[in-house]
Amino acid sequence: MAPAIDRKTKTVFFVVGNPSPDLYGAIRPGDNLYTDSMVAIDLDSGTYKWHFQYIAHDVWDLDAVSPPILTQARDKDGKVVDVVIHGGKTGHIYVHERNTGKLIRFSEAMIPQENMWVLPTKTGARMLPGANGGVEWSPMAVNPGLHLAYAANLHQPMTYQVEDVPYPGGKLWLGGAFTAIPGEEQWGQLVAVNLDTGKIAWKAKTPQPLIGGVLATAGNLVFNGEANGWFKAYDAKTGKELWKYNCGAGVNAPAVSYMVGGKQYVAVAAGGNKQIDSKRGNSVFVFALP
Amino acid sequence: MRMSGLFRYAVAAAIAMATFPARAQSEPVQLSPAEMAAAGAKAKTCEACHGPDGNSQNPAYPILAGQTWRYIYIELKDFKAGRRSDPVMSPLAQNLSPEDMIALGNFFAAQKQLPTNFQADGAKVDAGRKTSDTALCPMCHGGSFVGDNDVPRVAGQYPQYIKKQLEDFKARRRTNDAGNMTSVTERLSDQDIENLSQYIGNLN
Repeated sequence: MAPAIDRKTKTVFFVVGNPSPDLYGAIRPGDNLYTDSMVAIDLDSGTYKWHFQYIAHDVWDLDAVSPPILTQARDKDGKVVDVVIHGGKTGHIYVHERNTGKLIRFSEAMIPQENMWVLPTKTGARMLPGANGGVEWSPMAVNPGLHLAYAANLHQPMTYQVEDVPYPGGKLWLGGAFTAIPGEEQWGQLVAVNLDTGKIAWKAKTPQPLIGGVLATAGNLVFNGEANGWFKAYDAKTGKELWKYNCGAGVNAPAVSYMVGGKQYVAVAAGGNKQIDSKRGNSVFVFALP
Repeated sequence: MRMSGLFRYAVAAAIAMATFPARAQSEPVQLSPAEMAAAGAKAKTCEACHGPDGNSQNPAYPILAGQTWRYIYIELKDFKAGRRSDPVMSPLAQNLSPEDMIALGNFFAAQKQLPTNFQADGAKVDAGRKTSDTALCPMCHGGSFVGDNDVPRVAGQYPQYIKKQLEDFKARRRTNDAGNMTSVTERLSDQDIENLSQYIGNLN
């Protein structure tokens, strides 16, 4: 995913995916560094600065995929410091001291967690969150004035199955499977998390899991799209829904905002998504703000 | 930015802009007419079982027309390397170079898949759709089962062939799937497999 760059300290921050085979870990002993980690390197030389591994020896495909964001938050002493944050598939938002990677705090769980960290079995072990998270690759957004981070959540109950298989020669090497659980509801949720406390400030539930990304504007708006085509604006402080427009296909991409001739616009792609099988489209929608 | 009256005269018309399709690895390589003719000549060997232009006339043999080129390439590689075994295909693949496999993959990917004369059972199709959602088949094969890259297109394939593959994965007679299909089929009943075969075979 897209890295974040701190020009002041000349540092690049990026997150790393999971080890392969995803569900079969016996063939790859140890922590499997630097998978499932945030890594900081020097912008000019590429020299390692620090890393923080969220899950050592992952066998659930709960990798670090949502792009890191640079912002500020209060440390444990209440002092506002530079931080880098990541929204995890685990369902937590992690707040790191930017220079050292030290974990200042992680948020309360945004989605249900259950049976962590049961090992995958041959017939399937139930654990929440499912393999898509938590927070998938959807970029979060931040309102720096409010110290709030906004995350697009998924709740997809799954079972994890392992299969001992050798390298398959140029194919996706899962080493097992994840399957949904019949009769269990799947849903999504847009969540605002206070980075100073790790507490959830507000939630807006959606009927389908969220994959896409969030936009927060300086005008205290938050924009988020849904698999059913709705593109919605929320009040950044309260989570109150202010506006919506149906784009006719899954809005599974983050919106962007820009100015032309003093007028503010918001643009978003409605292309659908394969992973959650939302309706495909081929359009970009552009909205003008009053 | 003011909150009240947000978007009152907003939606300065949702401007729908065409986007350019990204070239995916699963799309056929553009072969020159000469290369396509050469690939077609190589594919003559396949015609006896897989039919003219990869549209098999026999449910025992899969339709290859419209398959992703990379899936065909990878399966041929697996037959040659012994990761997948078949009394007919394994010896045939021994004589193929990687370039042959890529050419054959692209030839069949460029052919139009024709519908089979399969008559689906509506109740089984409905049940198969539900099983597909639970098994998360669309996560890899796509909601319309057209496949992607090394994940095969199975929409409109002969249900008998789909059923046999699912049964072979479950019984571990076929194990070149990197553990995914063998795991998924582990929890499918015979009825689930029948329903899924009907549902997928009925897709266009």
